[in-house]
Amino acid sequence: MMTLPFFGFFVAFALVLAGHRVPSMVIWALSLLAMLTLFKMHATDPLNLVL
Amino acid sequence: MTPSFSRTLNALGLLAITIVLAAAFFDQIVFHDLPCPLCLLQRAGFVGAGIGLALNVKFGPRPSHYAIMILSAFAGGLVSVRQTLLHIIPGEGTYGDAFFGIHFYAWAAAVFGLIALGGAILLLFDRQFAPEAVPGRPTRLALIAVALAAAMALANGISTTLECGGGMCADNPTSYQLLDQMRGK
Repeated sequence: MMTLPFFGFFVAFALVLAGHRVPSMVIWALSLLAMLTLFKMHATDPLNLVL
Repeated sequence: MTPSFSRTLNALGLLAITIVLAAAFFDQIVFHDLPCPLCLLQRAGFVGAGIGLALNVKFGPRPSHYAIMILSAFAGGLVSVRQTLLHIIPGEGTYGDAFFGIHFYAWAAAVFGLIALGGAILLLFDRQFAPEAVPGRPTRLALIAVALAAAMALANGISTTLECGGGMCADNPTSYQLLDQMRGK
């Protein structure tokens, strides 16, 4: 699971090098979404703060 | 700013991000400082920002590429600020090593801010987006910078697989889970 953003971004880099601009941007967006989902799953502890 | 100069600046930015990722790897491998889940997600934020820079290097500067860089920095910044807030109160403890007296997650928050700021400043120079009579091409060195960043993304993916296996990572990892499973521990 935690590997998804890295491998997704790697594929996006590979697509950049191969000259595929739009597919690279789509894979970037999906990878960022995976990253934010993983962040939501890990940010469970309440913060001991008064804001 | 000409498109060619913009490409050069983006390639240098990409190299800077690769150096940040390499420094994190150095700390992981040499000092056995295993990255926590939030640390890994911050690394992913840096790699994501690198995609925007790589797109500018390969295809020429476009506002959408800078948007990718800024949005990735924002996402990585969310993670690093969250981790900084977890440890900001004295006595709450810290995670990992400090570098020049500041922990990596606090450094990451500052660097993500700089990436977003840099992207916004570069967007101010409209001439870089003007169509070129003869479409420019990235230099070989710039493409090497993209390849290095791609290699760093792959290396982080492999390292994370070794550390976490196919699932979620331990909150405070002390060993590489997949290697432990392979050794029957």
